[in-house]
Amino acid sequence: MANAASGMAVRDECKLKFLELKTKRNYRFIIFKIENQEVVVEKLGSPEETYDDFSAAIPANECRYAVFDFDFTTDENCQKSKIFFIAWSPDTSKVRNKMVYASSKDRFKRELDGIQVELQATDPSEMSFDIIKARAF
Amino acid sequence: MYGGDEVSAIVIDLGSHTCKAGYAGEDAPKAVFPSVVGCTDEMDVDDTTSTEKNSGSAGESKSNAKTLDSDKGKGKRKLYVGSQALGFRRDNMEVLSPIKDGVVVDWDMVDSIWDHAFRECLLIDPQEHPMLLAEPSSNSQQQREKTAEIMFEKYKVPALFLAKNAVLTSFASGRATSLVVDSGGGSTTVAPVHDGYVFQKAVVSSPVGGDFLTDCLLKSLESKGIKIMPRYSFKRKEIRPGEFQIVELDFPNTTESYKLYSQRVIASDIKECVCRAPDTPYDESAYSNIPMTPYELPDGQTIEIGADRFKIPDVLFNPSLVQTIPGMESFTETARSVQGLPHMVIESINKCDVDIRRELFSSILLAGGTASMQQLKERLEKDLLEESPQAARVKVLASGNATERRFSVWIGGSILASLGSFQQMWFSKSEFEEHGASYIQRKCP
Repeated sequence: MANAASGMAVRDECKLKFLELKTKRNYRFIIFKIENQEVVVEKLGSPEETYDDFSAAIPANECRYAVFDFDFTTDENCQKSKIFFIAWSPDTSKVRNKMVYASSKDRFKRELDGIQVELQATDPSEMSFDIIKARAF
Repeated sequence: MYGGDEVSAIVIDLGSHTCKAGYAGEDAPKAVFPSVVGCTDEMDVDDTTSTEKNSGSAGESKSNAKTLDSDKGKGKRKLYVGSQALGFRRDNMEVLSPIKDGVVVDWDMVDSIWDHAFRECLLIDPQEHPMLLAEPSSNSQQQREKTAEIMFEKYKVPALFLAKNAVLTSFASGRATSLVVDSGGGSTTVAPVHDGYVFQKAVVSSPVGGDFLTDCLLKSLESKGIKIMPRYSFKRKEIRPGEFQIVELDFPNTTESYKLYSQRVIASDIKECVCRAPDTPYDESAYSNIPMTPYELPDGQTIEIGADRFKIPDVLFNPSLVQTIPGMESFTETARSVQGLPHMVIESINKCDVDIRRELFSSILLAGGTASMQQLKERLEKDLLEESPQAARVKVLASGNATERRFSVWIGGSILASLGSFQQMWFSKSEFEEHGASYIQRKCP
Protein backbone atom coordinates (compact mmCIF):
# COMPACT_ATOMS: atom_id res chain seq x y z
CA MET A 1 0.00 0.00 0.00
CA ALA A 2 1.39 3.31 -1.01
CA ASN A 3 1.87 6.09 1.46
CA ALA A 4 -1.07 8.48 1.60
CA ALA A 5 -3.38 6.29 -0.46
CA SER A 6 -6.98 7.40 -0.55
CA GLY A 7 -8.60 4.04 0.21
CA MET A 8 -11.00 4.41 -2.70
CA ALA A 9 -13.03 1.29 -3.49
CA VAL A 10 -13.22 -0.28 -6.94
CA ARG A 11 -16.54 -1.55 -8.27
CA ASP A 12 -16.40 -5.12 -9.58
CA GLU A 13 -17.74 -4.00 -12.91
CA CYS A 14 -14.38 -2.32 -13.62
CA LYS A 15 -12.50 -5.58 -13.30
CA LEU A 16 -15.08 -7.54 -15.32
CA LYS A 17 -15.13 -5.10 -18.22
CA PHE A 18 -11.37 -5.01 -18.22
CA LEU A 19 -11.23 -8.79 -18.39
CA GLU A 20 -13.61 -8.72 -21.34
CA LEU A 21 -11.41 -6.18 -23.08
CA LYS A 22 -8.37 -8.32 -22.43
CA THR A 23 -9.69 -11.76 -23.27
CA LYS A 24 -12.71 -11.37 -25.54
CA ARG A 25 -11.47 -8.12 -27.04
CA ASN A 26 -14.95 -6.76 -27.42
CA TYR A 27 -14.06 -3.22 -26.39
CA ARG A 28 -11.50 -0.81 -27.81
CA PHE A 29 -11.29 1.27 -24.69
CA ILE A 30 -12.78 1.78 -21.27
CA ILE A 31 -12.96 5.07 -19.42
CA PHE A 32 -13.25 5.00 -15.64
CA LYS A 33 -14.23 7.71 -13.25
CA ILE A 34 -14.45 8.14 -9.52
CA GLU A 35 -17.93 8.66 -8.24
CA ASN A 36 -19.33 8.39 -4.73
CA GLN A 37 -16.06 7.13 -3.36
CA GLU A 38 -15.55 4.31 -5.79
CA VAL A 39 -14.09 3.77 -9.21
CA VAL A 40 -16.80 3.00 -11.78
CA VAL A 41 -16.97 2.46 -15.53
CA GLU A 42 -17.97 5.62 -17.37
CA LYS A 43 -17.74 4.73 -21.07
CA LEU A 44 -17.08 1.70 -23.19
CA GLY A 45 -15.75 1.92 -26.74
CA SER A 46 -16.59 -0.70 -29.32
CA PRO A 47 -13.72 -2.40 -31.21
CA GLU A 48 -14.38 -0.38 -34.39
CA GLU A 49 -13.64 2.90 -32.67
CA THR A 50 -10.28 4.61 -33.16
CA TYR A 51 -7.84 6.45 -31.00
CA ASP A 52 -9.40 9.73 -32.06
CA ASP A 53 -12.78 8.59 -30.80
CA PHE A 54 -11.09 7.63 -27.58
CA SER A 55 -9.39 11.01 -27.15
CA ALA A 56 -12.64 12.76 -27.86
CA ALA A 57 -14.42 10.72 -25.21
CA ILE A 58 -12.13 11.94 -22.45
CA PRO A 59 -13.25 15.21 -20.86
CA ALA A 60 -10.79 18.08 -21.31
CA ASN A 61 -10.97 19.52 -17.82
CA GLU A 62 -11.54 16.54 -15.58
CA CYS A 63 -9.38 13.66 -14.46
CA ARG A 64 -10.09 10.11 -15.63
CA TYR A 65 -8.48 6.71 -15.80
CA ALA A 66 -8.61 4.93 -19.11
CA VAL A 67 -7.58 1.66 -20.69
CA PHE A 68 -6.92 1.49 -24.42
CA ASP A 69 -6.25 -1.61 -26.47
CA PHE A 70 -3.79 -0.59 -29.16
CA ASP A 71 -3.41 -2.74 -32.30
CA PHE A 72 -0.35 -2.34 -34.44
CA THR A 73 1.91 -4.14 -36.89
CA THR A 74 5.57 -4.51 -36.13
CA ASP A 75 8.42 -4.09 -38.61
CA GLU A 76 8.40 -7.84 -39.13
CA ASN A 77 4.78 -7.59 -40.18
CA CYS A 78 3.51 -9.11 -37.02
CA GLN A 79 0.03 -8.26 -35.74
CA LYS A 80 0.28 -7.19 -32.12
CA SER A 81 -1.67 -5.42 -29.49
CA LYS A 82 -0.82 -3.70 -26.25
CA ILE A 83 -3.02 -2.60 -23.42
CA PHE A 84 -2.37 0.95 -22.25
CA PHE A 85 -3.33 2.37 -18.91
CA ILE A 86 -3.66 6.14 -18.99
CA ALA A 87 -4.02 8.38 -15.98
CA TRP A 88 -5.46 11.59 -17.38
CA SER A 89 -4.99 14.51 -15.05
CA PRO A 90 -5.22 17.80 -16.94
CA ASP A 91 -3.49 20.85 -15.48
CA THR A 92 -6.76 22.72 -15.79
CA SER A 93 -8.68 20.41 -13.48
CA LYS A 94 -9.24 21.26 -9.83
CA VAL A 95 -6.62 20.37 -7.23
CA ARG A 96 -9.12 18.23 -5.39
CA ASN A 97 -9.90 16.28 -8.53
CA LYS A 98 -6.21 15.69 -9.21
CA MET A 99 -5.52 14.63 -5.66
CA VAL A 100 -8.37 12.12 -5.62
CA TYR A 101 -7.29 10.46 -8.85
CA ALA A 102 -3.58 10.44 -8.09
CA SER A 103 -3.98 9.01 -4.62
CA SER A 104 -6.33 6.25 -5.81
CA LYS A 105 -4.36 5.21 -8.86
CA ASP A 106 -1.98 2.71 -7.31
CA ARG A 107 -4.77 0.71 -5.72
CA PHE A 108 -6.93 0.79 -8.85
CA LYS A 109 -4.13 -0.24 -11.17
CA ARG A 110 -3.48 -3.30 -9.06
CA GLU A 111 -7.01 -4.46 -9.72
CA LEU A 112 -6.43 -4.48 -13.46
CA ASP A 113 -4.16 -7.38 -14.16
CA GLY A 114 -2.59 -7.29 -17.60
CA ILE A 115 -1.68 -3.66 -18.24
CA GLN A 116 1.35 -3.48 -20.48
CA VAL A 117 2.13 0.20 -20.80
CA GLU A 118 1.35 2.96 -18.41
CA LEU A 119 1.11 6.66 -19.16
CA GLN A 120 0.36 9.68 -17.10
CA ALA A 121 -0.80 12.67 -19.04
CA THR A 122 -1.46 16.21 -17.94
CA ASP A 123 -2.08 17.80 -21.31
CA PRO A 124 -3.25 16.32 -24.63
CA SER A 125 0.29 16.35 -26.07
CA GLU A 126 1.38 13.82 -23.48
CA MET A 127 -1.08 11.23 -24.77
CA SER A 128 -0.94 12.00 -28.47
CA PHE A 129 -1.12 9.11 -30.88
CA ASP A 130 2.59 9.50 -31.64
CA ILE A 131 3.48 8.93 -28.01
CA ILE A 132 1.25 5.88 -27.87
CA LYS A 133 2.98 4.47 -30.95
CA ALA A 134 6.41 5.27 -29.57
CA ARG A 135 5.66 3.52 -26.30
CA ALA A 136 4.14 0.44 -27.92
CA PHE A 137 7.29 -0.69 -29.65
CA MET B 1 -11.08 2.00 11.36
CA TYR B 2 -11.91 5.50 12.41
CA GLY B 3 -15.53 6.26 11.70
CA GLY B 4 -15.96 9.92 12.51
CA ASP B 5 -16.84 11.53 9.22
CA GLU B 6 -18.44 14.58 10.75
CA VAL B 7 -15.49 15.85 12.73
CA SER B 8 -13.03 17.42 10.40
CA ALA B 9 -9.41 16.42 10.61
CA ILE B 10 -6.55 18.80 11.33
CA VAL B 11 -3.63 18.98 8.92
CA ILE B 12 -0.21 20.16 10.06
CA ASP B 13 2.88 20.61 7.93
CA LEU B 14 5.77 21.51 10.18
CA GLY B 15 8.51 22.75 7.90
CA SER B 16 11.97 23.94 8.81
CA HIS B 17 10.92 27.54 8.40
CA THR B 18 7.17 27.79 8.89
CA CYS B 19 4.49 25.64 10.39
CA LYS B 20 1.27 25.36 8.42
CA ALA B 21 -1.85 24.25 10.26
CA GLY B 22 -5.51 24.17 9.40
CA TYR B 23 -8.66 22.18 8.83
CA ALA B 24 -8.85 19.40 6.28
CA GLY B 25 -10.99 20.28 3.30
CA GLU B 26 -10.01 23.93 3.20
CA ASP B 27 -8.02 25.53 0.39
CA ALA B 28 -5.26 27.04 2.47
CA PRO B 29 -3.90 26.64 6.01
CA LYS B 30 -5.60 28.77 8.68
CA ALA B 31 -2.42 29.36 10.63
CA VAL B 32 1.06 29.95 9.26
CA PHE B 33 3.72 30.83 11.80
CA PRO B 34 7.49 30.52 12.21
CA SER B 35 8.66 27.11 13.33
CA VAL B 36 11.33 28.58 15.54
CA VAL B 37 10.83 28.96 19.24
CA GLY B 38 11.90 31.69 21.60
CA CYS B 39 13.42 30.28 24.75
CA THR B 40 14.30 31.87 28.06
CA ASP B 41 16.00 29.95 30.82
CA GLU B 42 14.90 31.83 33.87
CA MET B 43 11.99 31.55 36.25
CA ASP B 44 12.11 34.94 37.87
CA VAL B 45 10.70 37.31 35.28
CA ASP B 46 7.00 37.68 35.53
CA ASP B 47 5.87 38.11 31.98
CA THR B 48 2.19 38.70 31.81
CA THR B 49 1.47 38.29 28.14
CA SER B 50 2.30 34.68 27.55
CA THR B 51 2.93 33.17 30.95
CA GLU B 52 -0.46 31.56 31.29
CA LYS B 53 -0.41 29.81 27.99
CA ASN B 54 3.09 28.49 28.27
CA SER B 55 3.02 27.48 31.87
CA GLY B 56 -0.14 25.60 31.03
CA SER B 57 1.48 23.54 28.33
CA ALA B 58 4.71 23.10 30.20
CA GLY B 59 2.90 21.82 33.27
CA GLU B 60 0.88 19.47 31.17
CA SER B 61 3.84 18.04 29.35
CA LYS B 62 5.47 17.40 32.71
CA SER B 63 2.65 15.34 34.02
CA ASN B 64 1.46 13.62 30.87
CA ALA B 65 4.43 12.71 28.80
CA LYS B 66 7.13 11.16 30.86
CA THR B 67 9.16 10.60 27.74
CA LEU B 68 9.67 14.31 27.42
CA ASP B 69 11.35 14.67 30.77
CA SER B 70 14.64 13.40 29.46
CA ASP B 71 14.94 16.55 27.40
CA LYS B 72 14.57 18.72 30.42
CA GLY B 73 18.14 18.49 31.59
CA LYS B 74 18.65 22.12 30.65
CA GLY B 75 16.57 23.26 33.56
CA LYS B 76 13.16 24.80 33.36
CA ARG B 77 12.74 26.86 30.27
CA LYS B 78 9.99 28.99 29.00
CA LEU B 79 9.11 28.65 25.36
CA TYR B 80 7.53 31.30 23.18
CA VAL B 81 5.83 30.29 19.94
CA GLY B 82 4.14 32.23 17.17
CA SER B 83 5.01 35.37 15.25
CA GLN B 84 3.46 37.55 17.88
CA ALA B 85 5.28 36.09 20.85
CA LEU B 86 8.51 36.13 18.86
CA GLY B 87 7.97 39.69 17.68
CA PHE B 88 8.17 40.87 21.26
CA ARG B 89 11.76 41.29 22.40
CA ARG B 90 12.64 39.78 25.73
CA ASP B 91 15.88 39.90 27.69
CA ASN B 92 18.01 36.80 27.23
CA MET B 93 15.54 35.12 24.91
CA GLU B 94 17.31 32.80 22.49
CA VAL B 95 15.66 31.87 19.22
CA LEU B 96 16.12 28.18 18.51
CA SER B 97 14.92 25.77 15.90
CA PRO B 98 13.73 22.29 16.91
CA ILE B 99 14.74 20.87 13.54
CA LYS B 100 18.32 20.33 12.40
CA ASP B 101 18.99 18.89 8.94
CA GLY B 102 15.42 17.72 8.66
CA VAL B 103 15.55 15.80 11.93
CA VAL B 104 13.79 16.84 15.11
CA VAL B 105 16.38 17.40 17.80
CA ASP B 106 14.20 18.95 20.46
CA TRP B 107 10.81 17.33 21.00
CA ASP B 108 9.86 19.81 23.69
CA MET B 109 9.88 22.58 21.14
CA VAL B 110 7.98 20.59 18.56
CA ASP B 111 5.47 19.86 21.24
CA SER B 112 5.14 23.54 22.06
CA ILE B 113 4.63 24.31 18.37
CA TRP B 114 1.86 21.73 18.07
CA ASP B 115 0.32 23.03 21.22
CA HIS B 116 0.39 26.55 19.89
CA ALA B 117 -1.23 25.42 16.65
CA PHE B 118 -4.05 23.58 18.43
CA ARG B 119 -4.84 25.92 21.24
CA GLU B 120 -3.82 29.38 20.06
CA CYS B 121 -4.33 29.26 16.31
CA LEU B 122 -7.08 26.76 15.61
CA LEU B 123 -8.72 26.82 19.02
CA ILE B 124 -9.53 23.14 18.97
CA ASP B 125 -9.32 20.28 21.39
CA PRO B 126 -6.91 17.75 19.84
CA GLN B 127 -8.85 14.92 21.49
CA GLU B 128 -11.69 15.50 19.08
CA HIS B 129 -9.89 15.66 15.76
CA PRO B 130 -7.90 13.16 13.73
CA MET B 131 -4.47 14.56 12.82
CA LEU B 132 -2.74 14.31 9.51
CA LEU B 133 0.90 15.32 9.75
CA ALA B 134 3.20 15.85 6.81
CA GLU B 135 6.64 14.39 7.37
CA PRO B 136 9.95 14.75 5.53
CA SER B 137 10.50 12.09 2.88
CA SER B 138 13.42 10.57 4.71
CA ASN B 139 11.95 10.59 8.20
CA SER B 140 13.46 7.90 10.41
CA GLN B 141 11.50 5.12 12.03
CA GLN B 142 12.33 6.47 15.47
CA GLN B 143 11.02 9.92 14.65
CA ARG B 144 7.75 8.53 13.38
CA GLU B 145 7.20 6.41 16.47
CA LYS B 146 8.02 9.30 18.73
CA THR B 147 5.51 11.43 16.85
CA ALA B 148 2.85 8.78 17.28
CA GLU B 149 3.58 8.49 20.98
CA ILE B 150 3.25 12.19 21.64
CA MET B 151 0.14 12.52 19.53
CA PHE B 152 -1.69 9.62 21.14
CA GLU B 153 -0.39 9.83 24.69
CA LYS B 154 -0.14 13.53 25.27
CA TYR B 155 -2.75 14.96 22.95
CA LYS B 156 -4.96 11.86 23.01
CA VAL B 157 -5.89 12.30 19.37
CA PRO B 158 -8.50 9.82 18.11
CA ALA B 159 -6.56 9.00 14.94
CA LEU B 160 -3.31 9.90 13.22
CA PHE B 161 -1.75 9.69 9.80
CA LEU B 162 1.75 10.53 8.65
CA ALA B 163 2.01 11.39 4.99
CA LYS B 164 5.27 12.02 3.18
CA ASN B 165 5.47 15.56 1.92
CA ALA B 166 6.84 14.61 -1.49
CA VAL B 167 3.92 12.23 -2.03
CA LEU B 168 1.38 14.87 -1.05
CA THR B 169 2.91 17.39 -3.44
CA SER B 170 2.99 14.86 -6.22
CA PHE B 171 -0.63 13.81 -5.71
CA ALA B 172 -1.84 17.39 -5.42
CA SER B 173 -0.51 18.01 -8.90
CA GLY B 174 -2.29 14.94 -10.23
CA ARG B 175 0.72 12.70 -10.57
CA ALA B 176 1.47 9.44 -8.87
CA THR B 177 4.94 9.45 -10.41
CA SER B 178 7.09 12.56 -10.39
CA LEU B 179 10.30 14.11 -9.18
CA VAL B 180 9.52 16.53 -6.40
CA VAL B 181 11.95 19.42 -5.95
CA ASP B 182 11.03 20.94 -2.63
CA SER B 183 12.96 24.06 -1.86
CA GLY B 184 11.94 25.23 1.56
CA GLY B 185 13.42 27.37 4.29
CA GLY B 186 16.05 25.13 5.80
CA SER B 187 16.89 22.84 2.94
CA THR B 188 16.24 21.77 -0.60
CA THR B 189 15.19 18.18 -1.18
CA VAL B 190 14.82 16.30 -4.42
CA ALA B 191 12.69 13.18 -4.02
CA PRO B 192 11.48 10.77 -6.70
CA VAL B 193 7.95 9.47 -6.18
CA HIS B 194 6.76 6.43 -8.06
CA ASP B 195 3.15 5.25 -7.78
CA GLY B 196 2.90 6.95 -4.42
CA TYR B 197 6.13 5.58 -3.01
CA VAL B 198 9.19 7.68 -2.26
CA PHE B 199 12.47 6.13 -3.39
CA GLN B 200 14.38 6.71 -0.20
CA LYS B 201 17.72 5.80 -1.70
CA ALA B 202 17.43 8.36 -4.44
CA VAL B 203 16.49 11.30 -2.23
CA VAL B 204 19.08 14.07 -2.53
CA SER B 205 19.10 17.06 -0.25
CA SER B 206 21.21 20.10 0.45
CA PRO B 207 21.21 22.72 3.20
CA VAL B 208 20.84 25.52 0.67
CA GLY B 209 17.30 26.76 1.13
CA GLY B 210 15.54 30.05 1.66
CA ASP B 211 17.20 30.74 5.01
CA PHE B 212 20.61 30.24 3.53
CA LEU B 213 19.85 32.71 0.75
CA THR B 214 18.51 35.17 3.31
CA ASP B 215 21.77 34.95 5.23
CA CYS B 216 23.75 35.50 2.04
CA LEU B 217 21.73 38.61 1.30
CA LEU B 218 22.14 39.87 4.85
CA LYS B 219 25.92 39.46 4.76
CA SER B 220 26.20 40.92 1.33
CA LEU B 221 24.25 44.00 2.36
CA GLU B 222 26.33 44.35 5.51
CA SER B 223 29.51 44.23 3.48
CA LYS B 224 28.22 47.16 1.49
CA GLY B 225 27.74 49.15 4.66
CA ILE B 226 23.98 48.71 4.88
CA LYS B 227 22.91 48.03 8.42
CA ILE B 228 19.55 46.38 8.85
CA MET B 229 18.12 47.59 12.10
CA PRO B 230 15.81 45.07 13.73
CA ARG B 231 12.36 46.43 14.39
CA TYR B 232 12.79 46.39 18.16
CA SER B 233 15.98 48.45 18.16
CA PHE B 234 14.50 51.83 17.32
CA LYS B 235 11.52 54.06 17.72
CA ARG B 236 10.21 56.11 14.84
CA LYS B 237 8.79 59.42 15.89
CA GLU B 238 6.92 61.88 13.76
CA ILE B 239 8.48 65.20 14.68
CA ARG B 240 6.60 67.20 12.07
CA PRO B 241 3.88 65.96 9.76
CA GLY B 242 5.56 63.73 7.21
CA GLU B 243 8.94 63.98 8.86
CA PHE B 244 10.28 61.18 10.99
CA GLN B 245 13.08 60.80 13.42
CA ILE B 246 14.70 57.54 14.37
CA VAL B 247 15.62 57.07 18.00
CA GLU B 248 17.85 54.08 18.59
CA LEU B 249 17.09 52.05 21.64
CA ASP B 250 19.62 50.03 23.51
CA PHE B 251 18.82 46.61 24.93
CA PRO B 252 22.09 45.11 26.15
CA ASN B 253 20.47 41.83 27.13
CA THR B 254 19.20 40.95 23.69
CA THR B 255 20.70 37.70 22.49
CA GLU B 256 22.55 37.39 19.21
CA SER B 257 20.12 34.76 17.99
CA TYR B 258 17.17 37.06 18.54
CA LYS B 259 18.88 39.91 16.75
CA LEU B 260 19.65 37.61 13.84
CA TYR B 261 16.08 36.32 13.80
CA SER B 262 14.72 39.87 13.61
CA GLN B 263 17.16 40.82 10.88
CA ARG B 264 16.29 37.71 8.92
CA VAL B 265 12.61 38.62 8.99
CA ILE B 266 13.48 41.86 7.22
CA ALA B 267 16.09 40.37 4.89
CA SER B 268 13.77 37.60 3.77
CA ASP B 269 11.17 40.20 2.87
CA ILE B 270 13.76 42.07 0.82
CA LYS B 271 14.64 38.78 -0.86
CA GLU B 272 11.03 38.01 -1.71
CA CYS B 273 10.46 41.50 -3.05
CA VAL B 274 13.45 42.04 -5.28
CA CYS B 275 15.24 38.78 -6.02
CA ARG B 276 14.78 36.71 -9.14
CA ALA B 277 16.75 33.87 -10.63
CA PRO B 278 19.04 35.00 -13.45
CA ASP B 279 18.41 33.46 -16.87
CA THR B 280 22.02 32.38 -17.26
CA PRO B 281 24.69 31.62 -14.67
CA TYR B 282 25.57 34.73 -12.72
CA ASP B 283 28.53 36.64 -14.03
CA GLU B 284 29.97 39.55 -12.07
CA SER B 285 30.89 41.69 -15.06
CA ALA B 286 27.63 41.21 -16.95
CA TYR B 287 25.59 42.31 -13.99
CA SER B 288 27.72 45.23 -12.85
CA ASN B 289 25.57 47.76 -14.70
CA ILE B 290 22.25 46.35 -13.71
CA PRO B 291 19.76 49.06 -12.65
CA MET B 292 19.26 49.35 -8.90
CA THR B 293 15.96 48.46 -7.28
CA PRO B 294 14.93 50.47 -4.24
CA TYR B 295 13.59 48.93 -1.04
CA GLU B 296 12.44 50.83 2.02
CA LEU B 297 13.55 49.39 5.34
CA PRO B 298 11.31 49.58 8.42
CA ASP B 299 13.44 52.40 9.82
CA GLY B 300 12.65 54.53 6.78
CA GLN B 301 15.99 54.38 5.00
CA THR B 302 15.79 53.34 1.38
CA ILE B 303 18.42 50.97 0.13
CA GLU B 304 19.29 50.13 -3.45
CA ILE B 305 19.92 46.58 -4.52
CA GLY B 306 21.70 45.88 -7.77
CA ALA B 307 23.53 42.75 -8.81
CA ASP B 308 22.59 40.96 -5.58
CA ARG B 309 19.08 40.60 -6.91
CA PHE B 310 20.41 37.98 -9.28
CA LYS B 311 23.50 36.84 -7.50
CA ILE B 312 21.78 35.61 -4.34
CA PRO B 313 19.26 33.31 -6.08
CA ASP B 314 22.03 31.95 -8.28
CA VAL B 315 23.57 30.41 -5.16
CA LEU B 316 20.87 27.74 -5.51
CA PHE B 317 22.26 26.79 -8.88
CA ASN B 318 25.89 27.31 -8.08
CA PRO B 319 26.64 27.08 -4.35
CA SER B 320 30.31 27.92 -4.82
CA LEU B 321 29.24 31.52 -5.42
CA VAL B 322 29.08 31.76 -1.65
CA GLN B 323 32.85 32.21 -1.59
CA THR B 324 32.47 35.59 -3.22
CA ILE B 325 30.05 36.88 -0.60
CA PRO B 326 31.93 38.64 2.20
CA GLY B 327 31.07 37.24 5.59
CA MET B 328 29.94 33.85 4.31
CA GLU B 329 33.44 32.34 4.30
CA SER B 330 32.49 29.96 7.06
CA PHE B 331 30.20 28.21 4.59
CA THR B 332 32.80 27.73 1.90
CA GLU B 333 33.46 24.22 3.12
CA THR B 334 29.78 23.31 3.08
CA ALA B 335 29.36 24.90 -0.30
CA ARG B 336 32.03 22.72 -1.80
CA SER B 337 30.22 19.54 -0.88
CA VAL B 338 26.85 20.84 -2.01
CA GLN B 339 25.65 20.57 -5.56
CA GLY B 340 23.60 23.03 -7.52
CA LEU B 341 19.94 22.36 -8.13
CA PRO B 342 20.25 20.95 -11.69
CA HIS B 343 22.92 18.49 -10.57
CA MET B 344 20.84 17.37 -7.62
CA VAL B 345 17.97 16.64 -9.99
CA ILE B 346 20.15 14.64 -12.35
CA GLU B 347 21.85 12.75 -9.54
CA SER B 348 18.52 11.81 -8.04
CA ILE B 349 17.09 10.63 -11.37
CA ASN B 350 20.21 8.62 -12.12
CA LYS B 351 19.80 6.77 -8.84
CA CYS B 352 16.39 5.53 -9.99
CA ASP B 353 15.57 2.62 -12.19
CA VAL B 354 16.24 3.22 -15.90
CA ASP B 355 12.62 2.45 -16.75
CA ILE B 356 11.17 5.39 -14.92
CA ARG B 357 13.85 8.00 -15.62
CA ARG B 358 12.11 9.21 -18.70
CA GLU B 359 8.90 9.75 -16.84
CA LEU B 360 10.67 11.55 -13.99
CA PHE B 361 12.38 13.94 -16.41
CA SER B 362 9.04 14.88 -17.86
CA SER B 363 7.38 15.60 -14.54
CA ILE B 364 9.66 17.61 -12.30
CA LEU B 365 7.52 19.40 -9.75
CA LEU B 366 8.55 22.55 -7.95
CA ALA B 367 7.25 23.08 -4.45
CA GLY B 368 8.06 25.06 -1.34
CA GLY B 369 8.54 28.73 -0.55
CA THR B 370 11.89 29.23 -2.26
CA ALA B 371 10.63 27.58 -5.43
CA SER B 372 8.20 30.46 -5.81
CA MET B 373 11.10 32.72 -6.72
CA GLN B 374 10.57 34.48 -10.03
CA GLN B 375 12.12 32.81 -13.06
CA LEU B 376 13.32 29.85 -11.02
CA LYS B 377 11.23 27.39 -12.99
CA GLU B 378 12.40 28.70 -16.35
CA ARG B 379 16.03 28.68 -15.27
CA LEU B 380 15.90 25.14 -13.91
CA GLU B 381 14.26 23.90 -17.08
CA LYS B 382 16.88 25.57 -19.21
CA ASP B 383 19.79 24.19 -17.19
CA LEU B 384 18.32 20.72 -17.22
CA LEU B 385 17.77 20.77 -20.96
CA GLU B 386 21.48 21.38 -21.37
CA GLU B 387 22.58 18.64 -19.03
CA SER B 388 20.03 15.89 -19.46
CA PRO B 389 20.32 13.02 -21.93
CA GLN B 390 19.21 13.79 -25.46
CA ALA B 391 16.21 11.51 -25.48
CA ALA B 392 14.76 12.92 -22.29
CA ARG B 393 11.84 15.27 -22.56
CA VAL B 394 12.40 17.70 -19.75
CA LYS B 395 9.39 19.36 -18.24
CA VAL B 396 9.44 21.42 -15.06
CA LEU B 397 6.03 22.07 -13.59
CA ALA B 398 4.89 24.47 -10.95
CA SER B 399 1.45 25.52 -10.03
CA GLY B 400 0.66 28.93 -11.46
CA ASN B 401 -1.07 29.79 -8.23
CA ALA B 402 1.42 31.13 -5.67
CA THR B 403 -0.54 29.78 -2.70
CA GLU B 404 -0.72 26.33 -4.24
CA ARG B 405 2.98 26.34 -4.91
CA ARG B 406 3.91 27.46 -1.43
CA PHE B 407 1.48 25.24 0.41
CA SER B 408 1.29 22.26 -1.95
CA VAL B 409 2.14 19.82 0.82
CA TRP B 410 -0.49 21.16 3.14
CA ILE B 411 -3.13 21.34 0.41
CA GLY B 412 -2.46 17.73 -0.57
CA GLY B 413 -2.89 16.70 3.05
CA SER B 414 -6.02 18.75 3.38
CA ILE B 415 -7.72 17.07 0.45
CA LEU B 416 -6.60 13.60 1.40
CA ALA B 417 -7.79 13.87 4.98
CA SER B 418 -11.17 15.14 3.86
CA LEU B 419 -11.92 12.27 1.48
CA GLY B 420 -14.69 10.01 2.70
CA SER B 421 -12.79 6.95 1.51
CA PHE B 422 -9.70 7.98 3.46
CA GLN B 423 -11.43 7.63 6.79
CA GLN B 424 -10.67 3.89 6.86
CA MET B 425 -6.95 4.56 6.45
CA TRP B 426 -6.29 6.34 9.75
CA PHE B 427 -4.08 4.88 12.43
CA SER B 428 -6.64 4.91 15.21
CA LYS B 429 -6.18 5.28 18.93
CA SER B 430 -7.42 1.77 19.60
CA GLU B 431 -4.92 0.35 17.12
CA PHE B 432 -2.22 2.32 18.89
CA GLU B 433 -3.28 0.90 22.22
CA GLU B 434 -3.39 -2.62 20.84
CA HIS B 435 -0.24 -2.70 18.72
CA GLY B 436 1.91 0.14 20.03
CA ALA B 437 3.71 2.97 18.31
CA SER B 438 5.65 0.77 15.90
CA TYR B 439 2.39 -0.06 14.11
CA ILE B 440 2.69 3.35 12.46
CA GLN B 441 5.18 1.82 10.03
CA ARG B 442 2.47 -0.53 8.86
CA LYS B 443 -0.39 1.96 8.70
CA CYS B 444 1.52 4.82 7.13
CA PRO B 445 4.27 3.18 5.11
